[in-house]
Amino acid sequence: MSSHREAPEISKDPVADSADLYAFVSPDVPDTVTIIANYIPLESPDGGPNFYEFGTDVLYAINIDNDGDGVADFSYLFEFQSETTNLDTFLYNTGPISSLTDPNWNRRQTYTVTQINRNGHMKVLGAGLPCPPCNIGPLSTPNYETALAQPAVQQLSDGITVFAGQRAEGFYVDLGSIFDLGVLRPFAADHILGNLISTMGGVNATKALNVHSIAMQIPMDLLSRRKVTPTNPAIRDSVIGVWTSAARQAATVLPPTPKANAASVYAGPWVQVSRLGNPLINEVVIPLSQKDFWNHEAPASDVQFAQYVSNPELGRLLPALYPGVFPNLAAYNAAGTPNRADLTAILMTGIPSGVIPGFQNFTGVVQSDMLRLNMAIPPATASSTLPSNLGLLGGDLAGFPNGRRVFDDVVTIEIQAIAGATLGLVDPSFKPDAAASLVNQGLTSSGTDITAMGTENYLSSFPYLGVPHSGYYTPSS
Amino acid sequence: MAQVSRRLFLRNSGLAVAGAGVMSQIPFLSSLVGPAEADAPAAADAATAGANEGAATMTEPLVAHVRDLSTGEIGIFNGTREVVVNDPQLAARLFRAAR
Repeated sequence: MSSHREAPEISKDPVADSADLYAFVSPDVPDTVTIIANYIPLESPDGGPNFYEFGTDVLYAINIDNDGDGVADFSYLFEFQSETTNLDTFLYNTGPISSLTDPNWNRRQTYTVTQINRNGHMKVLGAGLPCPPCNIGPLSTPNYETALAQPAVQQLSDGITVFAGQRAEGFYVDLGSIFDLGVLRPFAADHILGNLISTMGGVNATKALNVHSIAMQIPMDLLSRRKVTPTNPAIRDSVIGVWTSAARQAATVLPPTPKANAASVYAGPWVQVSRLGNPLINEVVIPLSQKDFWNHEAPASDVQFAQYVSNPELGRLLPALYPGVFPNLAAYNAAGTPNRADLTAILMTGIPSGVIPGFQNFTGVVQSDMLRLNMAIPPATASSTLPSNLGLLGGDLAGFPNGRRVFDDVVTIEIQAIAGATLGLVDPSFKPDAAASLVNQGLTSSGTDITAMGTENYLSSFPYLGVPHSGYYTPSS
Repeated sequence: MAQVSRRLFLRNSGLAVAGAGVMSQIPFLSSLVGPAEADAPAAADAATAGANEGAATMTEPLVAHVRDLSTGEIGIFNGTREVVVNDPQLAARLFRAAR
């Protein structure tokens, strides 16, 4: 998955587990950038009676680097508070929740947003901001989106719009196949063990699950280095790097039993336990032994992981798993230790000018895992250029790896890239295998299918991720 | 500066001495996760120190982690800070108290 349960330790700590990160020029407010950081992966919509909520003991952050050194120039910090209004019931709600102030709602959260700059200066942008409840069902949370979710979209100072709460999972992935020894269902017959499995179409394993999203829509002039709205895609100042992170305090002491209502004790410095820039890096690039260490590290020190990007294990596995399907990649691998400058550019430095006509999202030579967005490239819309779920590989300069939109098929894009589809951009002597650009998850009907064959219901405006699946109607709907 | 929550204020006012490592280059990590402080200065006078301790009020949790009995390295977590002391006698006393 993009970064769901991607490391041994963080997989046991879902409220601090960053699952997905999106950053894109808002298609309907094109002088702003929308950033969405998802946590609590794989929420079952009917997961009551204690429905999902953010961690009150977790410090969440969205980090912005606008000068290319892999160090955040400022961060937005999110701290959550929970309140139980009725101590005498086990119920999440004692009647329909018709508004964010409805007394029937028994367990609610609010949060504080604070901006902290590189020099340590802090500014509270909003406090007591309401989260919506989880989408329980038509009796408990009627009119969910209009009565509960949209009122939770809040305006902060500085013109920032913010939302924090449950959303439908927007990331689509065929988990069952990719983790069964790397089966790509459309290519299953060509798998080295393909004779042991039957072929079938792709399965969107996350289509009926929810996540918790922290979403911000931020004016570009607040993000750019020179504090102006970028208009020139060719200059470096138009590019920002984004990542999300979560931290816990170093010490936790659980309350001694049998005291009722005793609170846990938290003490010590904040320790980063999760981070996410580009999708799938910690998932399928970093080796198992280093995944939790990677989560603790900062992007600025990612050069220590560069070897796993420039010589990815999956790039070596593909020719072995699919004999004869990737002969050119196999020959490239056999010629010496791979040095995939294309992957290093895509994931660690941004793509410099001159590689793809009219495009760059280069942040400099510092290798760091950040989602890089060239803010001067306008969004692809139905009225201009149709957006492609394959992003740059589909000729859509506004898509991944230029930031990431909710509908980008990042699994297909990254597997195609690792399979060699982008290697020719930096090594003209390499001819990509025909199969490299045909690899896909089988979850979209075409490059312009931005609904994953109707299994995703994105919104056309903030917060863009769909209405969370209701516990009552899921999984049958 | 505009309003700062009590929690953030406490965190900021308790900043550890900044180090030069990569961690210190991240705003919220450098300001909030700062590296451990060095040894606290030894009290010049035990009686005075005891009197001061008696007058002090603990407003945040205090957790001690004895890392090495032989060197006496103890990490003391207070609020969002960590102070590292190297005191074999204190470590030994804590060890004995725990038995």
